[in-house]
Amino acid sequence: MLDKLFDPDVIAVIGASRTEGKVGHAVLKNLLQGAGHKVIPINPNVTEILGLKCYADVLDVPEKIDLAVIVVPAAAVPSAMEKCGQAHISYVVVISAGFKEASLEGARLEREITAIAGKYGIRMVGPNCLGIIDTSSSLNASFAASMAFPGNIAMMSQSGAICTVTLDWADRTGVGFSKFISLGNKADLAENDFLELFRKDDSTAVIAAYLEGVKDGPRFMDVARNVTREKPVIIVKSGRTAVGSRAVSSHTGTLAGSDAAYTAAFRQSGVIRADSLEEMLDYSRAFSTYPLPRGKKVAILTNAGGLGILTADACHSIGLSITSFEEETITKLRQKLPEAAGLYNPVDVLGDAGPQLYEHALEVLLADPNVDGIIVLVSPQAMTDVPAIAKSLIKIIKTSDKPILCNLAGGTRIAAGEELLNKHSIPNYPSSERAVASLKALCDYSSIKVKEHTAPVTIPVNREAAQKIIDDAIASGRRTLGLESMGLLKAYGIPVVRSRMAGNLPEAIAVCEEIGYPVVMKIISPDISHKTDVGGIKLNLRNAEDVERAYLTMMSDVKHYMPNAHITGVQVQQMVTGGKEVIIGMDRDPQFGPLLMFGLGGVYVEFLKDVSFAVAPINDKEAQHMIASIKTYPLIAGVRGETPSDIKAMIDTLLKVSQLVMDFPFLTEFEINPLMVMPEGKGCLAMDVRMTLRKE
Amino acid sequence: MASMLVSSSEQYSGKSSLCLGLGVLLKERGYKVGYMKPIGNLLIDVNGSLADEDAQGIRKLLGLQDDMSSITPILLTENLTDDALMGVEKGLDSRLKEAYEKVSKGRDVVLLEGAGGIGGGAMYNLSDPEVATKLDTKILLITRYDSAQAVDRILCDLRIIQNTEILAGMILNEVSPDKLEQVSHLVVPFLEKKGIKVFGVIPEDHMLRSVSVAEIVEDLNAEVLVGASHMEDLVEHYLVGAMEVGSAIKYFRRMPNAAVITGGDRSDIQMAAIEAKVKCLVLTGNLRPSGAVLGSAEEANIPVILVRGDTMSTIEKMENLIGHARIKQEVKIKRIVELIKEYVDVDGLITEMGLGK
Repeated sequence: MLDKLFDPDVIAVIGASRTEGKVGHAVLKNLLQGAGHKVIPINPNVTEILGLKCYADVLDVPEKIDLAVIVVPAAAVPSAMEKCGQAHISYVVVISAGFKEASLEGARLEREITAIAGKYGIRMVGPNCLGIIDTSSSLNASFAASMAFPGNIAMMSQSGAICTVTLDWADRTGVGFSKFISLGNKADLAENDFLELFRKDDSTAVIAAYLEGVKDGPRFMDVARNVTREKPVIIVKSGRTAVGSRAVSSHTGTLAGSDAAYTAAFRQSGVIRADSLEEMLDYSRAFSTYPLPRGKKVAILTNAGGLGILTADACHSIGLSITSFEEETITKLRQKLPEAAGLYNPVDVLGDAGPQLYEHALEVLLADPNVDGIIVLVSPQAMTDVPAIAKSLIKIIKTSDKPILCNLAGGTRIAAGEELLNKHSIPNYPSSERAVASLKALCDYSSIKVKEHTAPVTIPVNREAAQKIIDDAIASGRRTLGLESMGLLKAYGIPVVRSRMAGNLPEAIAVCEEIGYPVVMKIISPDISHKTDVGGIKLNLRNAEDVERAYLTMMSDVKHYMPNAHITGVQVQQMVTGGKEVIIGMDRDPQFGPLLMFGLGGVYVEFLKDVSFAVAPINDKEAQHMIASIKTYPLIAGVRGETPSDIKAMIDTLLKVSQLVMDFPFLTEFEINPLMVMPEGKGCLAMDVRMTLRKE
Repeated sequence: MASMLVSSSEQYSGKSSLCLGLGVLLKERGYKVGYMKPIGNLLIDVNGSLADEDAQGIRKLLGLQDDMSSITPILLTENLTDDALMGVEKGLDSRLKEAYEKVSKGRDVVLLEGAGGIGGGAMYNLSDPEVATKLDTKILLITRYDSAQAVDRILCDLRIIQNTEILAGMILNEVSPDKLEQVSHLVVPFLEKKGIKVFGVIPEDHMLRSVSVAEIVEDLNAEVLVGASHMEDLVEHYLVGAMEVGSAIKYFRRMPNAAVITGGDRSDIQMAAIEAKVKCLVLTGNLRPSGAVLGSAEEANIPVILVRGDTMSTIEKMENLIGHARIKQEVKIKRIVELIKEYVDVDGLITEMGLGK
C-alpha cells in the first residue's frame, strides 16, 4: 500500500507555473531534479514549462498518472480533485493552503475534497502541506528549499515549517532521511498510515515525528505497538500545557486530549516521547548511528575532570548507572595512562591526552563486559589535537558493537572535529547532558523492543446485572450514579463494603442496628460529588443517638450548602479501619478513550496529584506498573517494617475496572474513591463510587 | 356555559401552559373552547396595536378567531395605572364583561388566565378573585412546588381569595422527583384536609424550561456564525466555560443539552464543548473563533453564536431566559398535553366546571 505514492512513474503537477518564486514552479523544479519518473505540468494557460509539454487538464494526458501534486488555490482544488478521480489517479498530494486551518469556508472545502477523494478511492496527503520526499526513489514532491540527503530516518511532521527547519538543520549536519512527509491537515492520510508504511520500508530504520495530535487514538496504539517492536519511534507532541493545547485547538479544530493520556499511550505502545524538537533530532540521530546497548551500565571517558563529574551526575539523575570496571580493565588502563589519570569511572586521560591515549582507553573500556555504552568527552586545551582525536573516535565508533556518544565540548576549537564526525554521520552532542539523554533513549528502546504485549485476560463477571443497573439509570433519566449503584461493582466481582440504604431517620436507625455499630453514614444524592465538603459523611457512629444527631445535622448542612440538591436518602456502611485509601478512576479521553487513573487516596491527594495513568484495556503488568509508578508507592508497599498493602487485590480491582469501562462505553467517568486496601492477603473494599453516564 | 380562571401566586408558575394544554385537551374531546387573558401585562406590538404576548400566543396555538381586544380587553399601560392612582373611572368592569360575553358566544367553555400573581390588578379592583367573582367563575390555582414553603404560599393565596367557595381547587406544578413522594403522601392530604381539592401533581420537566437557539440569538442580539439550520434545537441549561479544558469536558458531558458560554478566544473550551456535543456555543466579547474551530462545529452540527457583551453580562441574560421560556414550539405543546393527560384529573376538572352534563 502507498507504494506508488512514493515511487510513481508518472507525476502530474496541477497548477505548475512558469514564474519563479511560485510554489507551482518550485514543486516542478524539485521533481525534475529527481530521477526515474516522468513529470507532467498541468496548466490551461501555457503550453510548455521548463521545456516540458504542458496539458490543460489531467484528462488530456495520454499516460496513466500515478501521483498528482495539487498547488492551485483552495477554491479550485475540488474541481481538480474531481478530475483526478475521473483520470483514475490513485494518489494526490494537496500542497495548497486555505483549508480548515484558515477559515470556515476553507473547512467546508476540506470536507468537500475529502468526500471527493473518498468517492474515487483516492488517497490524499494534506491539504496545507509542504509535500513529500523519498530519497530512495529520488522523489521530491515538495516546495522545500533543498532535497534531503539519503539516510535511514523517516520523518513526518504536522507542521510544514518544522519540516523546512529540520531539512535546513540536516543540510548543515549532514543527517540523512529515507522519507520526509509533511502531514498538513491530515484530511485523509495521517500518522497511522505512515507508521505502518515506515515499518515495512527497508530504507527506514528510525521513525521521527512532530505531532499536534493523533487522528485515531486506539488505532494509533495498535499500530505503534507493532511498529516499535521493530523500529524505534520518537515523537515530539506539542500542546503539553493548557496554553499550548489551546493553540492546537485553534489551529487544527481538534481537541488534543489530555497530556497524561498521550504520555500513557506513548509509554504503553513503546513510543519514545521527546520533549522538544532538539531532543527528537538528538534521539533520532543516536538511533540512526548506534547499535543498541545491552544494559544501562555507562563508562565515561574524559580529558577534563569537571566535565566528567557533570556527566556522571547527569547519568545518575536520569537512571543510567556509572559502572564499576573489571580488575583487568583497570590494570590495562594503568599500563598506558599517566600516573595522575583517573582510572575508575569517569576515566580521566588528563588535559594533554592525544588520540593514542583516547584510542587505548576506548579499546580497553569496550572490552569490559560491565560496560554497555560510553560517553566520550573532549575539551580543547592548547595541546589538544581535536581533529586527530575525532579521527580516532570515528575509527572505533564505526566498528564498535556498543554505542559511543561524543561530546566535543567548546566552540571554535572543536568545530573541525565536529565537522569530521558529521561527515561520517556521527553526531557530536553539544553538551554532555544531551549525549546522556540520547544514550538513555537507546537504553529505553532496548527494553521496549523486547516488551511483550499480552492481551488482558477476560475475567468472568455478571455483565447482565451491570447492564441492568445502567439501563435502569438511563431509563429513569439519571446521569450521575453514586452509592446507590455499588451493585455495578459487585457484578464485576469488586468487593464492596457492607452497606444498606435508608430513606428516612427511622429506617436509618434500623439499618444501623442491623449492620452493627460502629457505622458510617453517607448522603445519597446525584448532585453531590464532594460529600465531605457539604457535611454529607459522618464517621464512627456508635449508637442510635449518634445516628439521630448525625442524620439531622447532615440533612440540615446539605440543605444549607446545596439547597437544590436532590436527596434520595442515606447509606449506612460498616466502619472499616486498618487499611490504606487509594483511588481508581477513569475518564474518557477524546483521543484515546478510557484513561484509567490510580493514586493514593485521603485528604492530600488533590494537593499531591500523585497519580498514574494508563489507557484501558490494561493487562496485569500494566496494572502493576500503574501502582508502582506513583511517588508514594513505598507507603503502599510498606515502610519501616509496616506490613505491605494487598497489591494483588489492587491489581485485580484495576483489571476489573478496565474490563468494566471497556464493556460499557456509556460510562464516561468512573471513580472508586476510596478503595480501602487492607494488609497483604486481606483484600480490598470499595467504600464509595461515582459514575457519569453519557446520554446520546 | 362553563368557565375557569387559572391563577397563581407567582409569575412563571405555568398558567399559560395549563390554559393551553387544557384548551387542547378540551378541544380534542369535542368542546368549543374559548380563551381570555382579561388583563394583559406582557405588552407587545402586534401589527401596530398593543396586545399581551401570552394571550397572542395562545390565541394562535388554539386557533381562535376572536379579536385580541376581546381576548385581552384591558392592557396594563402606564396611562391606565396613572388614571387608577388618580381615581379616574375607566369603566373597566363593563369592558371586562362585554368582552367575556363576546368570547362566550357559541362556546361550551371559556378558560381565563390570570395576570401575573393572584393579587395583581387589585388597584383596579381586578385581582384574580375579583375577576372571578365579577364573571361568576371559579378559580383553579397553580403553584410551583419548590419546597415546603409552597404550602405557606398556598395558604396565603387562600386568604387573598377570602371566599373559598370560588376556589375550584389547585394543581401543584414542577415538583422535583425527590419531592414527589413527600408531596403525594403529606402535602396533598394536608391541603385536602384544609378543603382544597388537588387536581394534579405535575413533575418538573426540563424540556419545558428550555429555550430554542433562535430565542437565545434574539435575546442576546447575537450573530450566528455557523449552524443556521439548528436554530430550533432546544437548550435546557447553560454552562460557563471558564475552567481548564480537562475539567471542562467532564462538566459539559454531564449536561449535553446545554449551551456553553465562553470567550471567543478560548479555542480549547470551544473544542471541548463540540466534543461533548452540547447544543450551542455562545461566544462572548465579540472575539471570532478560528476557522478550524468553526469548521469542526459545523461538522458536528453545533450552532455557534457570537455576542458583543462579556461573559458575565451574557450569563445574566441567559439566567433570565432559561426557565422563563414562552411556549412556541410544537414539541413543547405536545409535552404539556402529555403531562396534563398523565398527571391531572381532567375528568374531575370537567365535572367541576359543570361541563359534560
